Amino acid sequence: MKSSNYQQSLFLTRFNLKRDGLLILVWVLVLSLLMSAVAFKFNDLYGTKDAISSIVLTLKTPAMVSLFGAFTAKAPYTTADIFASEMMVFMALFMAIMNIYFAVRNTRGEESNGTVELIAAHAVGKQSPLLAATIELFLINLFMGCLFFLGIQISGMTGMSTIGNLLTGSGLAACGFLFGSSSLFMAQISDNPRGATMLSYLFLGVTYLIRMITDVKNADWTYLSPFGWVEKLSIYDQNNWLPVLFMLSLTTVLLLLTFYANRHRDVGAGLLTTRGGRKRATFLLSGPFTLVMRLDRLSLIAWILGLCVMGISYGSIFGTVGDILKANPMMGSLLGKNALNAASHLIVLKFAALLLIVFAVLATVPSMQTLLRINNDERKGWLEQIHAKAISRNHIFISYVAVALIMGTFTLLAAIFGMWLANAAVMKDPLTLTRLLRGFWGYLPALYVILGIGALLVGWLPKLQAIIWLLPIYGLISLYFGNLMNIPKWAQQITPYGWINQVPVNNVNWTNFGLLLLLALILFIVGFIGYQKRDLLEN
Amino acid sequence: MSEKVIAINHLQKKFGKFLALKDVTFEVKKGEVFGFIGPNGAGKSTTIRTLLGILRASGGTATIFGKDVWQDAVQIHKRLAYVPGDVYLWPNLTGGEIIDLFLKLNHQQHNARTDELIKQFELDPSKKTRTYSKGNRQKVALIAAFSTDADLYIFDEPTSGLDPLNEEIFQKQVLALKQDGKSILLSSHILSEVEHMCDRIGIIREGRLIETGTLNEMRHLTRTLITVQTQSSLPDLRNYNGIHDFKLAKDVINKASFSVDSDKMGAVMTLLAPLSITALQSTPPTLEDLFLRYYQNDEHGDDHHEI
Ligand SMILES: Nc1ncnc2c1ncn2[C@@H]1O[C@H](COP(=O)(O)OP(=O)(O)O)[C@@H](O)[C@H]1O
Ligand SMILES: [Mg+2]
Repeated sequence: MKSSNYQQSLFLTRFNLKRDGLLILVWVLVLSLLMSAVAFKFNDLYGTKDAISSIVLTLKTPAMVSLFGAFTAKAPYTTADIFASEMMVFMALFMAIMNIYFAVRNTRGEESNGTVELIAAHAVGKQSPLLAATIELFLINLFMGCLFFLGIQISGMTGMSTIGNLLTGSGLAACGFLFGSSSLFMAQISDNPRGATMLSYLFLGVTYLIRMITDVKNADWTYLSPFGWVEKLSIYDQNNWLPVLFMLSLTTVLLLLTFYANRHRDVGAGLLTTRGGRKRATFLLSGPFTLVMRLDRLSLIAWILGLCVMGISYGSIFGTVGDILKANPMMGSLLGKNALNAASHLIVLKFAALLLIVFAVLATVPSMQTLLRINNDERKGWLEQIHAKAISRNHIFISYVAVALIMGTFTLLAAIFGMWLANAAVMKDPLTLTRLLRGFWGYLPALYVILGIGALLVGWLPKLQAIIWLLPIYGLISLYFGNLMNIPKWAQQITPYGWINQVPVNNVNWTNFGLLLLLALILFIVGFIGYQKRDLLEN
Repeated sequence: MSEKVIAINHLQKKFGKFLALKDVTFEVKKGEVFGFIGPNGAGKSTTIRTLLGILRASGGTATIFGKDVWQDAVQIHKRLAYVPGDVYLWPNLTGGEIIDLFLKLNHQQHNARTDELIKQFELDPSKKTRTYSKGNRQKVALIAAFSTDADLYIFDEPTSGLDPLNEEIFQKQVLALKQDGKSILLSSHILSEVEHMCDRIGIIREGRLIETGTLNEMRHLTRTLITVQTQSSLPDLRNYNGIHDFKLAKDVINKASFSVDSDKMGAVMTLLAPLSITALQSTPPTLEDLFLRYYQNDEHGDDHHEI
C-alpha cells in the first residue's frame, strides 16, 4: 500500500527532466557562468592589498551590509573573502527564485492545467508526481552546487580553499532546495499556481528583509532568518557547516509536511480553497480595462504592499547608513554640524539611488507580466470570446498597456513612499518626500521605455516575447554590481535603467524625461501596429 | 429568405507554409441553420476564426452582413454571438460574472432570459470558473450567447462537453432562435446534432469545402439499406449496378440485405417486384452513412467525385 503511493516516481522524474531539460540548462548555465565569471574576474579587480582594503571599508558600511550581507571575515583579507561577501546573498536570492519557479510549475501548475489528473488515472501513485517534482528539484540544486564548486575551483582565485569552494556549492544548493521545498509546501496550501507563487515569495521576502535588518542592526540575530543562514557559512573564513545542517533540517520538516498534506487532500484541492463569488458582475467589471484591472487586482495589491514594505525596511536603516560619526568619530570635529548633515545626506542619497535601480527593476516585473498577458491570455484561450465581441483590438491592447503602466507607476511610487515614511521616522534630519520623489520621476520614463520595448515584442515577435526578461535581469546585475566590479560605463548603459543620471542625488533631467516618454510612446505605437496586423495566437 | 448573412469566396489561410484552408466557398442565408461539418483538423475552427477577424485570410474574401470580416470586425460583432470549440475562462472570475461581462461587452444587459437559461442549464453562477468542468465552461459561453440579442450566432462544436440532457436544451434553444428568424452557423463533427437542426450543410475536408446543399440534396448521394425476403428464388445481385454489400442470409432462404444507391432505387424495386416480396425493410440513410462514405472514399483514394 505504502510503496504503491510512490509507484512510477522515477519514471515521472525522468519524463519531467526530459520536458524541462532546456529550461533547466538555461537557468543552470546562466547562474553558474555568472558565478564563475565573477570569480575569474576578481583576481584582477581585487588582487592588490590596496584594492582589498578599500573595498572592505565600503563593504562594511551599513548600506553595503544591507545589500550584500554583513562582512564578517577576519583580517588579513583575501580576494576570496571579498568574493564570498559580495556573492553569497545575491546568488542565494537567484537560487531561491529559480527553485520557486520550478517547484510551483511542476506541482500546482501541472495540477491546475489538468496534467496531474491525467497522470493519476494511470498506474501512478498518489504521491508520485510530488515525489518526482521533489527529486527533480533536488537534482537541479545538486547539479547547480557542483557547477558552482567546479567554477570557483578552476578560477584559481587568491585565498580560496577547496573546502570553502565545496561549502559555497553545498550551501547555495541547500539554500535553493530549502526555498524550493518551502514552495512545494505553499503549493499544498494554495489551490492555484499564482497563489502558491505569491505565498512562496512572501516567505522569501520576509526572510530576506529580516536578514537585511538584522545584518545592519546586529548580525548575530541574522540566524533568525533561514535566508540569513547562507551568510553564516562564513566561507573561506570559518567555513562553518552548521548552517547547512540547519537548512537541511528545515527542508526535511517542510518536505514531511508537504507529503503529509499531499496525501490527505484531493487532486486540485488546497488548504486555502477557492471561495465562491458573486453571481453577477458589478460595474467594476464591465469592459476590457476593468477586466484586466480585475484580473491583476490581487497582484497589484500584493506588489504595492510588498514594495512598500521593502521601501520601509530600507528606509528604516537610513539612520544607520548616514551615521558617518559611527564609522569615523573624528569627522564630528572636522566638519561643522551643517556640513556633517550634508555629508550624511549625500551618503543616504547615494544609497537611495542604488536602491532605486532595484525598485525600478522590481516594478518592471509585475507590469511586464501584465503586458505580456496580451499574448499569454490569448494562448490560454481566454480572449477568444472577447475578440468576437464588439471590442476592437485597439481597445484590448490599450487596456493591457494601461494596467501595465498603472502597475509599474504605483509599485515604484509605493517603494519610494515606504522609504520616505521610514526615513522620516528614524532620521533626525530626514530627507523630504520631494527629494526622494526625484527618484520616481527619474526612473518612471526608463520603466516606460522598457515596457515599450516589451510592447514591441508583444506586437511583432509574440513567440519570443519572453526574451524581454533579459533586460531587467541584465540591468539589475550590471548596475547593482556596476561599481563593485568595475563594469564599464557603456555596459552599464545598455538597458534604459542605466540611462538615468543618479537620481535622487542629482536633479531630475526633465529634457531626458520628456524624450524618454516620447520614445516610450513611439515604441507602444509601433508595437500596437504589429498587434493590429497579425493573426492573434490561439491556444 | 435569400439575403446572404455570410458569404465566403475561395477563402484561403496559410499558417507559415501549411495551407490550412485551401478553398472554402459557401454562404449562409438569412434565417437558416447552416451545418458546417468535417472531421477534426479539417479547418472548421480556422474558417470560423477568420470570419471573426481573429485570423487574417491569406486569400479569397469573406463578408458578414455584407461587410468585410477583417476591416469591419467591430461593426459585425455588434450583431453576432459566438461560442468557441474549447471554452477557456479566467479562473478567478465566477461564471455569473463572466456571463454578465460578455453581455456588457456587446452593450447588452443581464435579462430575464439569462436567468432562465442559467436555470435550464443548471449552472451555479457563483462558483469560480477554476472549479468548473469543461461542460460547465461551455455552459457559461452558451448562456451568454443565447441571451445575447444578435442576428447571427456562430457555434463551433458547441456540445462536445455537454451531457445528453444539456445537449437537448441546446438544440431547443437553437430551434427557438431559428423560429425568431436568426441565422446560425453550427460546426460539428457530431452528426446527430446537425441532422435535427440544419437546413443546409456544408462538408469540409482538408481545408476544402467539398459539398453543400440541403439534407435532401445530400441524401440522393447516399445509399439506402434494404433487407428483403421473397417467395421466388432471389438471384445473386452482387454485381448489379447500384447495389453494394450484397449479403444472403445464412439461415433463411431468399433473404438478403444490401445497400442501394438512392438514385438506383427505382430500378432495383422493378427488379425485385416480380419475385413476390414477402418482407421489405428499408432504413433511410443517416448523415453518419454519408459521412462514413466520404471518409471511406478518402482512404481508397479520392473517388467521391464519381458518386
Ligand atoms: N495557429 C495555427 N498554426 C498552425 N496550424 C494551425 C493553427 N491553427 C490550426 N492549424 C492547423 O490547421 C488545420 C485546421 O485546424 P482547425 O481549423 O482547428 O480544424 P477543425 O476545427 O476542423 O478541427 C489543422 O491541421 C491544424 O493543425
Ligand atoms: Mg475545431
